[in-house]
Amino acid sequence: MVAYLRRNTALLVTLGIVLAILLWMTNRYEPKVTASIILSGLTLGALYFLVASGLSLIFGLMDVLNFAHGMLFMMGAYLGFTAYANPRLLLNTLPLVLALLGGAQVGRWLGGMLPDKLKKPWLDTALHLALFVLSVAVILFAVRGFNVQPLVANSATAAGGAISTADAQEAASLYIPRLLWLTLAGVLLGLGLSRVGPVATRRHTRWTGALIGVGLVAVAIAIVPLRTPAETFLLSVSSNIRFVLALLVGLVAGGALGALMESALIRPLYSRPLYQILLTLGVSFVGTELIKTIWGTAGFYMDIPAFAAASGEGCPSPNLWSWFSDHCASIDVLGRPFPSYRIFIIGLGLVIFIAVALLLQRSRIGIIIRAGVQDSEMVQALGINVRRVFTLVFALGSALAAVGGVAAAPFLGVNLGLGAEVQLQGFIAVVIGGMGSYIGAAVGALLVGMARAFGDQLVLSGIQLPWMDEAIRMSPSIARASTVLIMALVLLVRPAGLFGKKE
Amino acid sequence: MTTSTKPIHGAQTRRTARNWLGPIVVLLLLAFPFILSLLSGQPVDTGTPKFWQGMLIQVFILAVFAMSYDLLMGYTGILSFGHAMFFGAGAYATGILLKHSGWGLAAVLLAVVGVAIVQSVLIGVVSLRVRGVYLAMATLAFAQMFFILAQATDLRAITGAEDGLHGIPVPDWLNPTDQRLTFYFVALLFMVIMYLIARRVVDSPPGRVMVAIRENEARAQMIGYNTFGYKLMAVTLSGVMAALAGFMNALWNLNATPDVLSVETTINALLMTIIGGVGTLIGPMLGAGVYQLLGYWLNATFGPRWPLIIGVIYILLVLFVPYGIVGTWQLRRNDMRAGWARLIRPLRTGLEADTPGATKK
Repeated sequence: MVAYLRRNTALLVTLGIVLAILLWMTNRYEPKVTASIILSGLTLGALYFLVASGLSLIFGLMDVLNFAHGMLFMMGAYLGFTAYANPRLLLNTLPLVLALLGGAQVGRWLGGMLPDKLKKPWLDTALHLALFVLSVAVILFAVRGFNVQPLVANSATAAGGAISTADAQEAASLYIPRLLWLTLAGVLLGLGLSRVGPVATRRHTRWTGALIGVGLVAVAIAIVPLRTPAETFLLSVSSNIRFVLALLVGLVAGGALGALMESALIRPLYSRPLYQILLTLGVSFVGTELIKTIWGTAGFYMDIPAFAAASGEGCPSPNLWSWFSDHCASIDVLGRPFPSYRIFIIGLGLVIFIAVALLLQRSRIGIIIRAGVQDSEMVQALGINVRRVFTLVFALGSALAAVGGVAAAPFLGVNLGLGAEVQLQGFIAVVIGGMGSYIGAAVGALLVGMARAFGDQLVLSGIQLPWMDEAIRMSPSIARASTVLIMALVLLVRPAGLFGKKE
Repeated sequence: MTTSTKPIHGAQTRRTARNWLGPIVVLLLLAFPFILSLLSGQPVDTGTPKFWQGMLIQVFILAVFAMSYDLLMGYTGILSFGHAMFFGAGAYATGILLKHSGWGLAAVLLAVVGVAIVQSVLIGVVSLRVRGVYLAMATLAFAQMFFILAQATDLRAITGAEDGLHGIPVPDWLNPTDQRLTFYFVALLFMVIMYLIARRVVDSPPGRVMVAIRENEARAQMIGYNTFGYKLMAVTLSGVMAALAGFMNALWNLNATPDVLSVETTINALLMTIIGGVGTLIGPMLGAGVYQLLGYWLNATFGPRWPLIIGVIYILLVLFVPYGIVGTWQLRRNDMRAGWARLIRPLRTGLEADTPGATKK
């Protein structure tokens, strides 16, 4: 018993503080106010969890602190918003991406048939460098003059773009050559890639890969004429379906970006740990600039989907069960309406928490991940391809962050401040919970979310100590700054966090 | 923490040979406005010469900022992501004291140094308890705290909230618009002094201990050095230098906005250091010059989204040229010389064979 207490002092002390604050809150505020503070805290906590869990897993497994995680969250929000409000941009870029990917598959297969080594090593290096340069040149040539602005141009109503479809989209006669050029660029890129890495791994290039590649290119060309009807169709379906689509877009895009980032940029740097951080910082910088380039610097508001936006007769819903049938925009919590979309975010966070926990605890890949967090060299020694698991976890973490971004978009808005803000809170959550611990990330995120909600309420209602005549009122930014102090405190008292292992 | 640069072989012997290089560069920079004035045919204090003085003033200020960052990252091996807080605090202290308190310039300078010492010691004591990525996160968080506070509406009367401080009063003799040539010389002097101080520190025994900490902290501790003290010293020195750069920045721009406290400012320092070369003093200064000129050129060519290209260049540098310009030069110097010698050897031997009386090697 004593040993248990001693081992978990920090945890127990934290629990004690949380309980004391809860008691103080129930004393000071009415129950309905307390309830909505707690629900707000849970909402923020769920979002922070989606960021912190990925950060924590990535750090635990490969010791990479991903400074681009906030950017991925923001990218998810922008992509999700685009898929939801104006899918035109995505529909018009999807074939381009497919063509490039398909070409790369074919190129890898072709590369497998080339001789492994040329006579002179420098010729080999020169060849693969030339292939890369050539492919970049072809990509640039293929996308020159491709005008993104009318595709993005958004009206406030979020029902399609501000510019009519016919004017915004490029005619197929211009568009198809782009696809062909990009396919060529992909083939060159694939050829270049096939020459990198140990010979043993590049021998086994199966022709199914090439078949998939050809299929992708075919699909890309096939969907060119469908761009306009698809847009009309997507905008005509209910906002719920579009929202699910947006979440899927976030999931896939986040995962793809994460996998790409890990395999192309971070993998060469595992031997230079500090440079990984510098690199992720650079990626975050470039990603943010890319967002500014495509979507501009002004933010967007994303409408709340229909399942949480009904109003009028019978609203707010008296309880959660009746909300399932009437879909009111807010739910009555102890006599105070609370936005039901935020309840949805809490639910989403919970579902993802359980799903990933099951993945980690019950599946084979989860066991490998957990073993890798403990000792990745040992896992590799046992004959498991840890590098592939690294990519997978990076993709998983990024996908979670991007989904979080999509879910956050109707609640926090889509703007350029989103990334830095969420990233900071995610870091704080991870530091509190302990790097590399999944449960720690969840607890840390909850604590930070609660602290934010509570702090906001406190600064808004003002702090009045017994000897003061008037309460001190402050702006919410003071509450934001104060979470940083919590982190400093934790770092000082227990650098490994609540659930982290001691270094 | 892993090393960022290799020990420089033959640095001591080359030092004597390079001694004349520094003064010549300084002399060139001193003469630069007049040379440009001669070349363009415009008076020194108008037109092209004035514009390029402005560019160089910015370079000098950024050079000091980048150099202070490299004292931490390159020499002591402390990766801080919150360096902007020192720079920004210096700028804000200057702005507040000049604008609201009406202090004299010398008093403000002393106050900035004082503020920077207090700030960096406090931040250092707290964040140096952890190392590596934890330190990076802690410093980032502290810097964000300052950034948030600078934007907070509660302090609008003092900091000007999101708008920042504008129209900071500067003594007439140092007005960056009217007396640009004077400001140019002051900024140059500032940079040279800061460089000499940094050089002195780096070459001193404590500077060597800093490098030892970067290479292997546990070993430095084992030998008997109080590594915490040395790291705190590095943080303080670097913080004061960054604050002074912030002081100059506030005087030059006549404003202090929340931007100087943002992460982008830290990233800029990082960029300049990486471009120039980690673990050298000349590198970051050179990097500042390259960054500023490249930025100017990219801005003129590609418009307002030029940081995108800078970012891509940065990623490529991190991947392929991790030691930067100066670092790569120092690493490859001998190889390059040898390669060059090999290339011209047949030519030389050919020439020598032609000259009568030459002995063939």
